[in-house]
Amino acid sequence: MTGIISALVEAWQELRINKTRILLALLGVALSVAALTSVVGLGNLAREGFKAASERNGGRSATLGIGVYGPTQPDPQKLEDAYRGIIDRYGIAHYTHVTQAQQGFQFPRGVQQVQLQVVDPGYGVIHRLEVSQGSWFAADDEKRLAPALVVSEAFYDAAGRPNLVTNPTVKLAGGRATTAVMIGVVPDLYPEMPPSAYMLTGAAERAGAAGIGGAGPGQFKFWVQDGQAETLKAAVTSDLQRQFPGMQAQVDRMDYASQGDPFATVELAVGGIAGLVLLLGAVGMLNISMVTVRYRVREIGIRRSFGATSRRIFLGVMMESVVATAVAGIVGVMLSVAVVKNPWIQSKIAPGLTEYPAFPVEAAMLGLGSAVLVGALAGAIPALVAVRIKVIDAIRF
Amino acid sequence: MEELVSLKGVTRTVLLPDDQELHILRGVDLAVHSGDHTAVIGRSGCGKSTLLNLLGLLDLPTSGELTFQGTPVRQLHSNARAKLRGEAVGFVFQQFNLLPGRTALDNVVTPLLYARGPAFWRRREIAMDILDRVGLARRAQTLPNMLSGGEQQRVAIARALVRRPRLILADEPTGALDVDTGQSVMALLDTVATESGAALITITHDVNVAALARACYRLESGVLTPAAIPAGVTA
Repeated sequence: MTGIISALVEAWQELRINKTRILLALLGVALSVAALTSVVGLGNLAREGFKAASERNGGRSATLGIGVYGPTQPDPQKLEDAYRGIIDRYGIAHYTHVTQAQQGFQFPRGVQQVQLQVVDPGYGVIHRLEVSQGSWFAADDEKRLAPALVVSEAFYDAAGRPNLVTNPTVKLAGGRATTAVMIGVVPDLYPEMPPSAYMLTGAAERAGAAGIGGAGPGQFKFWVQDGQAETLKAAVTSDLQRQFPGMQAQVDRMDYASQGDPFATVELAVGGIAGLVLLLGAVGMLNISMVTVRYRVREIGIRRSFGATSRRIFLGVMMESVVATAVAGIVGVMLSVAVVKNPWIQSKIAPGLTEYPAFPVEAAMLGLGSAVLVGALAGAIPALVAVRIKVIDAIRF
Repeated sequence: MEELVSLKGVTRTVLLPDDQELHILRGVDLAVHSGDHTAVIGRSGCGKSTLLNLLGLLDLPTSGELTFQGTPVRQLHSNARAKLRGEAVGFVFQQFNLLPGRTALDNVVTPLLYARGPAFWRRREIAMDILDRVGLARRAQTLPNMLSGGEQQRVAIARALVRRPRLILADEPTGALDVDTGQSVMALLDTVATESGAALITITHDVNVAALARACYRLESGVLTPAAIPAGVTA
């Protein structure tokens, strides 16, 4: 134990004395570690952002969507009944019927067409929608006289960003001139996203939102546990097939998790490049360590004369490299944290997130581990050279 | 007095590039006891440093018997020899051999980095004590290149003594100093060696240095013979 601590003390002393030389050698290592760690950190952030976007579009794992196809459109009421029947029969807690419509809204600068999604309250859970302000729909929001609206940031901007506590209203353009109340705001998925809004099914029907149901029956979605998805798929398909003879019933996974990890290949490629850069840093470090050992022959001889064993000389020279690259690794990881946690970068990489994930520990460990490994590799060869130095020759060097 | 080092019929031969053998030491007999102050004199190239390397466990004899504190050195593994060297031998070199870029204190601390237990953990305190003993406590944080030759050699002496060695080996300790400074350095070395009860072997070609010893040997063409202690010659 004392041996390792004293080797560390010796290594630190050596680094302190040769700090300029070491700093230059370590610049490459620190930058490579920062690159490697940032790839993992930003990859994680991008994945979270993509996951959020995918969940907003397709639903979280495992979301099932049902469809019935045939030579003619299935009867909408019969399809709605079948949907309700499935919910009851299988005790599904989170479900939504989704239809889309273009609806005009009266904004301070005039009427603007908005993508209106008509949904059930379960849509928020299924699509993991997190509001940046206000709240998502509750079950009794459907009973409001003035329909509740959850709007996108772009919509909220167009409405003049009123305070939600004051129950701000916006008028639906069209025949009935209904006034809706904005109750929540969800972040945009990407910059310059056109305004959009959500309204509950019952409320939209009463408000006479334009074009509801015009584009077909829409989508019926359920969110179930991952392990139950395949069993339910088969059971619900069979149920629907029985209820709609002569037509084709289909139940599909709609979530992102069912499509594999789209970032794995890119992350592997960029990580590979960062690894190569790290290797170049290691070669630079090795080169400088070799020169240093030759320059320190006399010093090594003197240390041997004071009782340093060959094992201790090996450990000392290697520790210098390991301690140096570990310090460079810490600097690299800190640099990477500064990059990955930068608000501007976060908003560009994952615009759909309201809360950004913490810096991944595995990225920091990978960066630090790689730095120490590089230090050990770059230190081992000079350490072997140092051990082979003959004491008598070294003292007279 | 306890016998520290014993050489019996020790030879040291090296093979030259043309496959000729060079006999550096021939049948050397020597016994060194605790508290001895021995001088070995001889001309340059007579084998003085080779003898010092053998005494300091830095080298092994080609033939003959070398024992250190009763243990045949040949039986010891190189790491065991290194540990024994660290614990029992202190070197003072002609060119001081202080580590560049490190303060006087850091240089004196260096041997304690290879010690264990309290000697390692209290290394700075121990090093400061010994620097104080050689009169350099106030120069502890000074780099070697800012010290005079005499001060550098005193730091080297402090470094040699910091682990309380049983044997101090001084290789031309005044070779790089003027006569007056050399004399004061030798007086210091003699005093601290006597106080600690360590044996001091000085290898020199300076009769003034040899004159301070209590026993003297002459090394000539690899053969060691007892010699009279020379009378000192002041400059």
